[in-house]
Amino acid sequence: MKLLEVNNLKKIYTTRFGGNQVQALSNVTFSVEEGEYVAIMGESGSGKTTLLNILASLDKPTSGEILLQGKNVVSIKESEIVAFRRENLGFVFQDFNLLDTFSLKDNIFLPLVLSRKSYDEMEKRLTPIATKLGIKDILNKFPYEVSGGQKQRAAVARALITNPQLILADEPTGALDSKATDHLLKLFSDINKEGQTILMVTHSTKAASHAGRVLFIKDGEVFHQLYKGSISNEEMFEKISNTLTVIATGGVVNE
Amino acid sequence: MNKLFYPKLAAINIKKNSKTYLPFIITCICTISMFYIMHEISINKGLDGVSGSESLKVILNLGSKVIGIFSAIFLFYTNSFLIKRRKKEIGLYNVLGLEKKHISKILFFEFLYTSIFSLLVGLIAGVILDKLMFLLLLKLLKFKVAFGFTISVPSIIITLLLFTGIFISTLLSNLVQIKVLNPIELLRGSEHGEKEPKTKWIMTVIGLIALGTGYGLALKIEAPLAALQMFFVAVILVMVGTYALFTAGSIAMLKTLRKNKNFYYKTSNFISVSGMMYRMKQNAIGLANICILSTCVLVMISTTVSLYVGMEDVLRTRFPRDIILTAAQATKEEAEKIDEILVRESKDNNIDTTGKFNYFNKYFAAINNDGKLDLINKDSLSSDVTLLQFVSIADYNRLEGENITLKDNEAVVYSNVKNFDKNNLTIENKIFNIKESFNKPIEALKINMNDVINTYVVFVNDINILEANGDGAYYVAFDVSGSDENIGILSNKLNEKFKENNLQVHVDSSAGSKESFYSLYGGLFFIGIFLGALFLMATVLIIYYKQISEGYDDKNRFEIMQKVGMSKIEIKKTIRSQVLMVFFLPLVTAVIHVGFAFPMITKLLAVLNLRNVSLFMVSTIITILVFAAIYGIVFSLTAKAYYKIVE
Repeated sequence: MKLLEVNNLKKIYTTRFGGNQVQALSNVTFSVEEGEYVAIMGESGSGKTTLLNILASLDKPTSGEILLQGKNVVSIKESEIVAFRRENLGFVFQDFNLLDTFSLKDNIFLPLVLSRKSYDEMEKRLTPIATKLGIKDILNKFPYEVSGGQKQRAAVARALITNPQLILADEPTGALDSKATDHLLKLFSDINKEGQTILMVTHSTKAASHAGRVLFIKDGEVFHQLYKGSISNEEMFEKISNTLTVIATGGVVNE
Repeated sequence: MNKLFYPKLAAINIKKNSKTYLPFIITCICTISMFYIMHEISINKGLDGVSGSESLKVILNLGSKVIGIFSAIFLFYTNSFLIKRRKKEIGLYNVLGLEKKHISKILFFEFLYTSIFSLLVGLIAGVILDKLMFLLLLKLLKFKVAFGFTISVPSIIITLLLFTGIFISTLLSNLVQIKVLNPIELLRGSEHGEKEPKTKWIMTVIGLIALGTGYGLALKIEAPLAALQMFFVAVILVMVGTYALFTAGSIAMLKTLRKNKNFYYKTSNFISVSGMMYRMKQNAIGLANICILSTCVLVMISTTVSLYVGMEDVLRTRFPRDIILTAAQATKEEAEKIDEILVRESKDNNIDTTGKFNYFNKYFAAINNDGKLDLINKDSLSSDVTLLQFVSIADYNRLEGENITLKDNEAVVYSNVKNFDKNNLTIENKIFNIKESFNKPIEALKINMNDVINTYVVFVNDINILEANGDGAYYVAFDVSGSDENIGILSNKLNEKFKENNLQVHVDSSAGSKESFYSLYGGLFFIGIFLGALFLMATVLIIYYKQISEGYDDKNRFEIMQKVGMSKIEIKKTIRSQVLMVFFLPLVTAVIHVGFAFPMITKLLAVLNLRNVSLFMVSTIITILVFAAIYGIVFSLTAKAYYKIVE
C-alpha cells in the first residue's frame, strides 16, 4: 500500500526584489510504500532540502500534490497543519534540535505534551522506546551533558514517541562521528524492520547504503533510483558511489 | 599598518553596536550631568541666604555622594552587559589574526570616544540644566529667585575626576577579561550558562526568614522612635530577602512545580515552567535590582512628596498658635512679668493677640515597670521612655472651662498610650485614683506634645506632689492678628524685652520655623525627585538590556519549538506570558514591599510631625500608579525590540 505519493511537485522561489525566479524543484514524482526505508541523495543545491521542507509541510509547493495515506497534505488548512505534522510525522534533524532547557526525557515528551496526552500514557510509551534506543539511563540528563550520538538517539525517540506514519530524517548522521553514525544507522534499520516507514535525506553514501531504496535528485528532478534488494550494505555502497560518479561526471547511466 | 586603522575600527564598532552602545552612552551622559548638577547646587553660594541652609547643604551633599556611588555601580553593570554581548565579536577578531594587544587598542579607542563624548555632552547638559534645577530648588524652598548664570569649576573638576575614574576602571576590567580568555572561549562567550540551575534550599529558607522578619518588623513596631532605629534593619532584611528569593526561591519554587507531574506535563505549564527557570537563572539578580530600585523610587517620592505637601499640617501640629513662649523653670513672679511684658508689647506695637492660653507644668522621664511608672534620669533617651507631665487642675479648669475638684490622691489623666489603665495610675510609690480620663489632648497641651513619645499628662491639685526634682516650665501661646509680618515683629520685640529683663524665655514662631521647614523638606523633595529620576532611568535601562539579551537567547528556542510541532501563535503566547511575568514580577514585589513598609514609614513621618496618614496614602498610591504607567510604557517599547529580534 502506498503511504506517501508525491506527484509532479514543483517549487519556484521568487526573489524578493525583481522577478528573478529560481526553480528548486521542477517536477518531482515518486512514492513510498508502507514500511519502506527510502534515502534521497543529491548534491548541494539539488533541491533535497526544499523537498523535505515541503514534505514536512513547513513550506508550500508551487504546484503538485503530496498524498499521505491518500490525504492531500498541500490542501490542509493553516490552522490544522501544526497538529497534522505533530501527529503524523516524526522529525530527526542534523543538529538534533533538542531544547537545552529540558532534560532528554522532557525533550522526548514535548510533542506528546503538545498533544495533551496524560503523564501515565507518556511514561508507558517512553519505556519501550528508551530501552530500544539505549538511552534509558540518561533520560534525566540534559542535552549539554551527553554526547552527540546520545543526543541524536534522544531526537529519534522524540520522533518515534508519537507513533508517526512517517519519519523524516534530514542528514541525521551529519553531525556524528563514525561510531555514532554506525550505531544510528543500525537503529534506523532495526526500526524499519519493525515496520516504521523512514524517509531520509542525506549526503552520505554510507547512510544511504542502509536504505532499501535510494532516489537521486538532480536539478530538481528525480534523476535515478536504486533498489537494494537482497545485496549487502557494502555492495549497495559501491553501487551508490558508482551512480554518484556518473551523475557528477554527467555520463549516461548504464543500468 | 595604517596608523588610523584602530581609531577607525573603533568608530565603526560603536556604530555597528549602536543598539547596545547608545543606551550606555545616554546613561553616561545623564549620570554625569546629574552628578554635576547635584554637586554644583550643594556648593552654590546662592543657597547661603536660605534659613537652614546648613542642613540643606548637608542633604544635597549626601545626595551628590549617593549619585556618585550609584553611577559607579550602575555604569559597571551596564558595561559588563556590553562586554558580554561583544565577546563573540572580539573572539572573531582574535581568530582572524588580531592579537590581544591590538584588540586592547581597539577597546581603548572605543573607550576614548565614548568617555570623551559623554563627558563633554554630559557636562554641557549639566551646566545648562543646572540653572534650571537650581531655580526649581529655590521654588520648592519658596525662596526668592536669584538671577545669574554660574559655572562651577570645582564641580566640573570633581565630575571629570570621578567619571574618568569610573571609565578607566571599566576599561581595565574589560582588558583583564579579554586577556585571560582564549579565543574559543571568546567566541562562545555569550553562550555560557545554559546549565540547569541548582536548587538552593538554604538560601531560600534564609530569604524567607529575612523577608518575613523584615515585614514583621515593619508591621509590629508601634513606637515611632523604635521605628526609626529598626527601619534600616528592616530595609536590609527585606533587601537580603528579595535577593535570596529572586535567585534561589524562584528556582526552588519552579523545581517543586516540576516535581508535580500532573501539573508539569500540561501544555502551557510544561513550556513556561522550564522557560521561567532559565530566565530566572539568568535574570534573577537583574530583576532583584529592578525590584529594589523600584521600591526606592516609590518610597522616596511618596514620602518626600507627602512631607512637602503636608508641610502646612506639620506646622499646625507643631504650632497650634503663631507664637509660643517657653520659660523653663520659671517662678510665679517671673511668669507674671512675662504676661505683663506681653500685654505691654502688643499694645505698644498695636498688634492684637488672640486665642491666648498659658499654664505651668512639671515633667519627669519615667519608665514603665509592669504598669508602675518609675522615674529615671531624663538624659537616658530610649524608645520605651515615658514622659510624665503634671499640670494643676486649676489650670485645667481655667483652660477648659470646667469645674472639677479633686482629692489629693485623685487625678484627671490624658495619655496617648493605647489602652492605659483608666482606674489607677501608680507613680513611684504613689497611687492616683483616676477620676476622669481622655484619649485626645486638650488644645493647650498640643504645644509640647507629640505622638512619638508615650506621654501621661496628670492633672492634680499640686504639681509638686512628687518629692523628686523635675523640670518645669511656664508656657504662653497665642495667635497674632494681621499679616504674617506681625508675627516676626512681635517675636523680635518680645525677645528684646525678655533679654532686657533678664528672663530666660524661648520665643518660637511658626513664621520663623516655616522657612527652615521649607528648606529642609523642599531639599528632601528635590533630592527625592532627583534620585527618583536616576533610579527610574536605571530601571528602564536594565529592562531594555534584559529584553535584548533575552531576545537573542530565545531566538533558537523559538525555532526548535516550531520544528517540533508548536504553532507560531502558541509560541508567541507562551513567550509573551513568560516575558510579562518576568518583567512585572519586580514591580509587583516592589508594590508589596511598599505596602508592608507603609505602617513603618507612617510612624517615621510622625517623628517628623506629619500625621496626615491619608495624605501619605494618597501620595503613595499616585506614585505607584505613575510609576507603574511609566514601567508599562517602557516595557511595551522594549518588548517591541524583543519581538523584532525573535522574529
